Amino acid sequence: MPRKKTKREASGRAVATIVVMRLYIANDAPNSVRAVANLEAICKEHLKDKFKLEIIDVLETPLRALADGILVTPSLTKVSPSPAAKIVGNLSDKRSVLHALGIVEPVE
Amino acid sequence: MKSNLLARDRNPPRPDPGHGFEGRILRLVKSVPERRAIESGQIDAVIDPATGKAFLLPDAQQALREEQARVRGLLALSSDWFWEQDEHYRFVSHTGTASGSSGIYDESIIGKTLRDPPFGSMGESDWQAHQRLLEWRATFRDLELRCTDRAGVMRWISISGEPIFGQQDQFTGYRGTMRDITQRKQSEALAQVSREKLAERTRAEQGVERAPGNGAARGIVSRKNSAERRRQERLLGKVATGNPTANRLLAALPRKEYQGLRAGLEAVTLTYGQILSEPGEPITHVYFPIDCLVSLLTTVEGHQALEVGLVGREGMVGISLALGMDVSSVRALVQGTGTAMRMNAARFRKEFRKSVPLQRELYRFIHAKLAQARQTAACNRFHRVEARLARWLLMTRDRVRSDQFLLTHAFLADMLGVRRVGVSLAAGALQRRKLITYTRGKIGILDRKGLEAASCGCYEVIKDL
Repeated sequence: MPRKKTKREASGRAVATIVVMRLYIANDAPNSVRAVANLEAICKEHLKDKFKLEIIDVLETPLRALADGILVTPSLTKVSPSPAAKIVGNLSDKRSVLHALGIVEPVE
Repeated sequence: MKSNLLARDRNPPRPDPGHGFEGRILRLVKSVPERRAIESGQIDAVIDPATGKAFLLPDAQQALREEQARVRGLLALSSDWFWEQDEHYRFVSHTGTASGSSGIYDESIIGKTLRDPPFGSMGESDWQAHQRLLEWRATFRDLELRCTDRAGVMRWISISGEPIFGQQDQFTGYRGTMRDITQRKQSEALAQVSREKLAERTRAEQGVERAPGNGAARGIVSRKNSAERRRQERLLGKVATGNPTANRLLAALPRKEYQGLRAGLEAVTLTYGQILSEPGEPITHVYFPIDCLVSLLTTVEGHQALEVGLVGREGMVGISLALGMDVSSVRALVQGTGTAMRMNAARFRKEFRKSVPLQRELYRFIHAKLAQARQTAACNRFHRVEARLARWLLMTRDRVRSDQFLLTHAFLADMLGVRRVGVSLAAGALQRRKLITYTRGKIGILDRKGLEAASCGCYEVIKDL
């Protein structure tokens, strides 16, 4: 059973791009836990409600991951908007995650 | 999920002997970023397309194994039981009877809710409040309940739970923990009683809190009168009207009578929301409140309950017994947590038959209750909510002997037989006149005289009864 975490856009009619992502993890293994936490922090800061995230446990559904072309966990894929992107590891390097998700960090 | 992992741990994936673990990974993972991530220790598992299975890297395996050992260790240490309820809040499973120390969590609770026996100290208002929480799918913590175990012994449990949701995010029930807190509750009750005894003794030694009385020394609940105290009493030619921590009805009895009763009395802690009797049900005990407050409610089909009387330290709950009836005609709901002395029905009947002073005191009290109920009936029909609220707050104050007490909107609405909006308006009006403060169910009386003026005349009439 994939663990799903879905956040829908609040309401706004304004056309906002919703980033759809899938995070592949291995149960409660240390890097997987860290990746979830890192990604949650990034989404909260940069995407607010404008994202959909599905978390897939490869120990339970390895074939699903294989079908998506995933070999190692944790891995994060951006499904939409295109271009699709993939990043592996525990997502502690925030800059490369933002880059993969196509988020431009506001200049301070 | 965990169990899958356990199985996995018992048979850790062995690398292909001919090629070695490292070689296997290198064969599977070819892209540079993935290899780099593995080298920097950021990868937990690799999926082998050949077997279609994921295997954990050694570090992750080790970490998960340690984690599981820790969780198992904590579970073994904990005295909690785990349970699950379905979407109708009925128990479907539990891990009970692990320690075997109490038999409340056996199969008898399967299919039951917390409202059904063997649970059952939750008052109507508490149950409604709890259900509201459940309907909001809220997490609840440390809900304290009484229940009966297999041996029929009364026990206390503390229960916490959180909602569970299925794959499609639909609500499927609750799960949580349950703990036996009987011992804690008992020691709390004991501590309360000994605190009271100590306070009594201190007061007695200081010779304060005394006023003229008209009989023999008034007995105080399970107190040993010291020789010093008796000497002081003789000297003063007065007797104490009873310690403020005593029940006035008991304190009004001549000492000899009281001594006779004492053996049959036991101190109990009554908690908010507890129901002491229901209409039509046999009365098992009579209660002499000391610092708790009991509401007498009449239920009318299709409506909320309406308060018809209030019993505090001036009286007794279970007067039907004194009138020769074994069943209660009202619901007696504990409204202020505190201590009471209680006596079982059989013993009370016997004592009541043989003690004329007890009869006299009780008849006087019953008369007062009757007059109070009559006055309340008229008051509820004719007087404004605001005046009735003022009266009711004053009556409560007289009985709990405190200007501060906790009462919810819903509860006040029940007491006054009005909707909650009515209570809000009335409380708001009294608050604007700076007579009371009312925040989050906490009521403070600021100006007693002013509140008396704001109340209807009924307060004056029933105050002295």
